[in-house]
Amino acid sequence: MRRIPWSGLAVLAACLLAWEAWAYWRRDLAAYFPPASEVLVTLGQMLGSGELTGHVAATMKRFAEGYFLAAVLAVGAGLCLGLWRWLYNAFEPLIELLRPMPSPATIPIAILFLGIGDEMKVAVTIYACSWPILLNTLDGVRSVDRVLFATAATFRLSPWARFWKVVLPAASPQIVTGLRVSLAIALILVTTSEMVVSNDGLGYYVLESQRTFQMPQMYAAVVALGVIGYALNRLFLMIDGWVMAWHKGATRREN
Amino acid sequence: MSWKDSRWTGVAVIVLLGLLWEVAGRAGWVHKLLFPPLSVILAKLFEIVASGEILQHLGVSLWRATLGYTLAATFAIALGIVMGYWRRAYDACEITIELLRAVPPPAVIPLAMVFLGIGDALKVFMIFFACSFPILVNTIDGVRSVEPVLIRTARTFGLSRLRIVWKVILPVAAPTIMTGLRIATAIALILTVISEMVGATSGIGYFILGSQRTLHIANMYAGMLVLALTGYAINRAFLYVDGYLMAWHKGLTRREQ
Repeated sequence: MRRIPWSGLAVLAACLLAWEAWAYWRRDLAAYFPPASEVLVTLGQMLGSGELTGHVAATMKRFAEGYFLAAVLAVGAGLCLGLWRWLYNAFEPLIELLRPMPSPATIPIAILFLGIGDEMKVAVTIYACSWPILLNTLDGVRSVDRVLFATAATFRLSPWARFWKVVLPAASPQIVTGLRVSLAIALILVTTSEMVVSNDGLGYYVLESQRTFQMPQMYAAVVALGVIGYALNRLFLMIDGWVMAWHKGATRREN
Repeated sequence: MSWKDSRWTGVAVIVLLGLLWEVAGRAGWVHKLLFPPLSVILAKLFEIVASGEILQHLGVSLWRATLGYTLAATFAIALGIVMGYWRRAYDACEITIELLRAVPPPAVIPLAMVFLGIGDALKVFMIFFACSFPILVNTIDGVRSVEPVLIRTARTFGLSRLRIVWKVILPVAAPTIMTGLRIATAIALILTVISEMVGATSGIGYFILGSQRTLHIANMYAGMLVLALTGYAINRAFLYVDGYLMAWHKGLTRREQ
């Protein structure tokens, strides 16, 4: 049974109470600074009335499409580049050139080519997410111990068997790291593209609420995004713990 | 050495793509508006650099990024050492930090805008907010990886807590902290661009988006090129500093040939 971090929960509760107290003390800021209780009540109302559902669904759809397509494309590309030396040599300078450019800078160019709809947001998300996954997959494949390859040769494994039984398992921890980093990046890019140009989605809703001075709604939407981010992360860790259990057992520090 | 193993293959690929871009624009294979020939873009790039226009925007962006980054590094390393060293501190702060970390930074921008307006303070705060987390996580990780034996040895020598932090914990944790700092440089640049696209009147992000909106397409591409080069330069600069500061560590952990 995992020990419950009572002090952590206490600190969190203290922060919320401090928020509440400060908002009540500075009632003059009420327009900008609703108390935590009001925000939570508003969030509940919005969920109940279904006002938020459409936006959440839009954001999650873009996130899912962007993230999973990026995962498939980038893992595939990373595996190819990692396994075939000539491919890596051919594309490495190009990668080094494109890599330092911050991914949000592709939003204007995406708007130009794809308009302001879902395709643009998904495309930008795919581009941004691909990088950590690609680089980590590449790293994972290229750093497979040479001894493993020699052993595979000793056992006369076919190229496919060598890939499936040696390369993939050996590279998988790194690949999973890349996938985990991309989770946050996907959410960031979806939110950003929704803020720059959109008419639905949580990112749009946050900005729009701020512009129309609906402060409790804005705070509520931010909280909703935080909860979604947290939930996605926990979900990932859960799946990671299950799929990569063999690796965690093998690399656990002896106590 | 066959073409498969040569480094120049990659360079050739880039040159080929560049040529393709140039030809496609001029031959009309693609809409000239969307895809100006490479030479036009490069000419535009030269123009906006020479006029100082882009350097002004870039300067503003880099100023914001540096300020936010430095604040984040100072705060996050300090907090990270505390949280890494004292289990109690970690337990107390972890949940709140995890929840804050889960919020995508762009969502915080409108919130911060309410309190900070759309000036420099907003951008600096956003960069500070986003950069703190990777540095914090890596610092905690690094501090935790210090072998208890080392700390006990230091205590045996009668070192005070502060000296232990300075002479034992920081050096051991330094490589991991540097990794966090390196990740944070990329994040700083990303948040600079994002915050400048959502609410700003200056900066390179604003320049690129503004160019697209006013259909100065060559300007847009040129701006992106400047941004890519800046990112590259910052990365190289960091690697250089890292190589200098962490030389002792790289020597220590270098694989024997």
